[in-house]
Amino acid sequence: MAKLLEVTDLHTYFFTEAGVVKAVDGISVSVEDGKTICLVGESGSGKSVTAQSVLRIVPRPGRIVGGTIRFDGEDLLAKSEAEMRKMRGNKMAVVFQDPTTSLNPVYTVRKQLADILLLHKGLSKDQANKTALGLLEKVGISDPEKRLNAYPHELSGGMKQRIAIARALSCEPKLLFADEPTTNLDVTIQAQVLELLKQLQKEYGMTMIMITHDMGIVADMTERVTVLYAGKVMEEADTTTLFTSPKHPYTEALLKAVPSVAETRALEVIPGNIPNLIEPPLGCVFHPRCKYAKDVCMKEQPEWEKVSEGHYAACHRWRELSLQGRS
Amino acid sequence: MSGKAAKRRAASQWAVAWRRFKRNKSALIGTSIVAFFVIVALLSQWIAPYPPRSYEPLYEGVAGTPPSWQHPFGVESSGIDVFSEVIHGTRNDLYVGLTAAFLTMIIGIFVGALGGYFRGIVSDVVLGLTQVFFVIPTLLLILLFARIFFQLVFKGFGLTLIVLILSFFGWSGTAFIVRGETIRVREMDFVQAAKSLGAGSKRLLFRHIVPNILSPVIVITTLNIAGFILTEVIVSFLGFGDANTTTWGLLLDEGFAYVRTDWWVALFPGLAVVFSVLGFNLMGDGLSDALNPRLRE
Amino acid sequence: MERTQFARTELSMLTDSGPLLRVRSLIKHFDVVERGIIGRKKIGEVHAVDNVSFDIARGETLGLVGESGCGKTTTGKVLLFLETPTAGSVNFHGMDVFEVFGKRGRAPDARKLRRGMQMVFQNPYTSLDPRMTVFDILSEPFVIHRNIPKEEWKERVYELLRMVNLEEYHAERYPHEFSGGQRQRIAIARAIAVDPEFIVCDEPVSSLDVSIRAQILNLLSDLQQKKHFSYLYISHDLSSVRQISHRVAVMYLGEIVELAETNSLYDNPLHPYTQALISAVPVPDVKHRTTRVILPGEVPSPMNPPNGCRFHPRCPYATDICKRDPPAFEDRLVKGHFVACHHADKFVR
Repeated sequence: MAKLLEVTDLHTYFFTEAGVVKAVDGISVSVEDGKTICLVGESGSGKSVTAQSVLRIVPRPGRIVGGTIRFDGEDLLAKSEAEMRKMRGNKMAVVFQDPTTSLNPVYTVRKQLADILLLHKGLSKDQANKTALGLLEKVGISDPEKRLNAYPHELSGGMKQRIAIARALSCEPKLLFADEPTTNLDVTIQAQVLELLKQLQKEYGMTMIMITHDMGIVADMTERVTVLYAGKVMEEADTTTLFTSPKHPYTEALLKAVPSVAETRALEVIPGNIPNLIEPPLGCVFHPRCKYAKDVCMKEQPEWEKVSEGHYAACHRWRELSLQGRS
Repeated sequence: MSGKAAKRRAASQWAVAWRRFKRNKSALIGTSIVAFFVIVALLSQWIAPYPPRSYEPLYEGVAGTPPSWQHPFGVESSGIDVFSEVIHGTRNDLYVGLTAAFLTMIIGIFVGALGGYFRGIVSDVVLGLTQVFFVIPTLLLILLFARIFFQLVFKGFGLTLIVLILSFFGWSGTAFIVRGETIRVREMDFVQAAKSLGAGSKRLLFRHIVPNILSPVIVITTLNIAGFILTEVIVSFLGFGDANTTTWGLLLDEGFAYVRTDWWVALFPGLAVVFSVLGFNLMGDGLSDALNPRLRE
Repeated sequence: MERTQFARTELSMLTDSGPLLRVRSLIKHFDVVERGIIGRKKIGEVHAVDNVSFDIARGETLGLVGESGCGKTTTGKVLLFLETPTAGSVNFHGMDVFEVFGKRGRAPDARKLRRGMQMVFQNPYTSLDPRMTVFDILSEPFVIHRNIPKEEWKERVYELLRMVNLEEYHAERYPHEFSGGQRQRIAIARAIAVDPEFIVCDEPVSSLDVSIRAQILNLLSDLQQKKHFSYLYISHDLSSVRQISHRVAVMYLGEIVELAETNSLYDNPLHPYTQALISAVPVPDVKHRTTRVILPGEVPSPMNPPNGCRFHPRCPYATDICKRDPPAFEDRLVKGHFVACHHADKFVR
């Protein structure tokens, strides 16, 4: 299967007054056409910045300083800003975490949806209106005609997120980034939106990159997972393998620290804190918190090694350790 | 945060703000200008060649002369040395600006905090009062009051009176900001936490709320200094001030009629006003940037 | 030293009988007002908390779950009188809380209550005064209550820091120098500085990273083991509530719709809303397959709660009686497992 997106050794740094924040420090990620993958990590892992880098919307003082990004066979980093603008919203789209801020409060829903269609597809106002209506129906919004004329603040969180999804899908993009799309939503609404995303992905056949910190969503929604920590990739595998036989201590720790609604079990604590990205730890970036850390982990950065077909990990000791997954 | 104790940069919000302020070039320029004027004001008695409102140069026969080495800013036709007067004016105008701004700050904090902290009647009354004082045409009333007090009631009470009048009409702006900020901070978790620990209103207000609203107050007070100086200039320029006290506005009034011929009489006081206001504004802008509550981690 | 694992405090270890906290028929309505030029007009009422009752025993953790707008945070705040209640009573250690706080002036009883009941807030970035050092923050209770001589403050503060696994040198620092997890520890240290018996924990880990959450949950559990604190653990995260609570109450639109012992509630939920809620949570397990109950529509506004059973417009099992009669909150079907539903008998296993 062809790879729609191929990010290789990406480095995106933020040049702040306090120092250089290495938000993305050598991340490689790829996704095949039509699949759904997940970037999972906590704050500071670099998952959102990676998505921003692909779209080239990294806010100042951030800058892509190294690596390559290939999308649909083209080198994205070589493109001009004008060419990127033609791609955003059109070939690649994003659904952001907070629909309250990702929708413009001073424009009606109609205007926000129609604008994109007018911009990228060159539709007439009438056609844009019709398409917008259809989109709202597709994302399951009741009374779409009425909602088109509403302003974002008149709508609930779940509805706003559906509209954000409608907006992202309006030009039928090849690649959809969903950056923590349900984190700000209530549990029952989250279930609705996740189902909707699953259904739309099937229908449109688009490639989806789900960015989340919720291991439950990972298990439920995605086929392949890339685990990020402090700007680097720790492990990559298909979802089932990652959960049942992880090869990286961070993955194991994460799986053990996460509570489940389906069972009562003792949680294992990960000591320490997420590292300072201006001065990340030497050697393996996870070693200060890793219960298996040895001397070599403190001195040398681990290589990106193949564990088995489609399963990779960056750990000095993966061969010796027998880590526990969730059975 | 990693790291043990020992040496580390002072981390209070004031220390952080000070470091940011120091890096801002225009803020430093503004502060230097202000410092310059303050020094002049403090040393005015010693550096001014003549006492205030003195006609001595008349007897020296130099009345009405343009700037020269002995009289760097020239002499008015009445004999008043402009250089000397601008220095005296510096002291008086700065006094008016600083004192009025300070008083306004105190009144504004007091009224605003009370109006923002308490709900119900107290809040409504304070809001109404603030609104009234905010919308009335203060300049006209200041002129009116000045005329009443200076010409009719307190002949020669001077600057303190002007300060009182300016503060009386000027507190509403600060009070509005303080009230808004107090309402915002009042609902914040750390205030609720102090309340749940058993803190009373007095402690909540003065230990928790006021220290956290000082930033915008400092900025607006600094900018107020410039504003009050300008107001004083207008009042005196229009002839409503105290004719016996040297202020820049008075000098501008005296020089206005001769602007085409004895241009130096109006120019130098005018420049003083421009630069002092500029200095305070730059300083205020710098403070605003430095105290910006968005602390980057 | 922190344990690396934790489990719920065993309830059987506790010796006390009789509830520490008794909440009866708690009601909190917010007025919605429109402000005119002079005065204001009331145009509606938000039924934030409507007739909530529960007990908490010494050393017990009661979980309070629900989605946004269900009234769980308001309940926590009203218990501590941080919001004035509209009606109802709260009895703590035999004292009528509302009566004590309602009196003007700070009676010594009020001080006692403030020392007995504390709160840990959700957002560690706003619950600490940014202008105070950690020492000031932790010694503030001593200033207010004047129960510890000044010479002992330093030692007490250091002891508190040790209890939450922070270092002594942290006392001179300012909140913004700490990470979210560390700030939350400081907030917990502040809450226990007065030696309380009951602590309301309002979403204490929601703002924290996943790998840090277990640390804080562990800390809370540890402290409960050592000091027998009772917690009201408020959260929308059903997964973590399951781990730390002995019993759980589910709120919807201001009412408690189900209350039971934790495993009983999660494994055999009797209320359709609870069932939907639990099935909606993604499970971090590849083998787990839930049939998700997707509730239609949105949560209705607490300004105009529906008639009869408040959940009926979204309930897949609603019948006529549900639209007319509010169901009784009772444990008729399973002892100790309270539920307010006309059709709960359908779900008993």
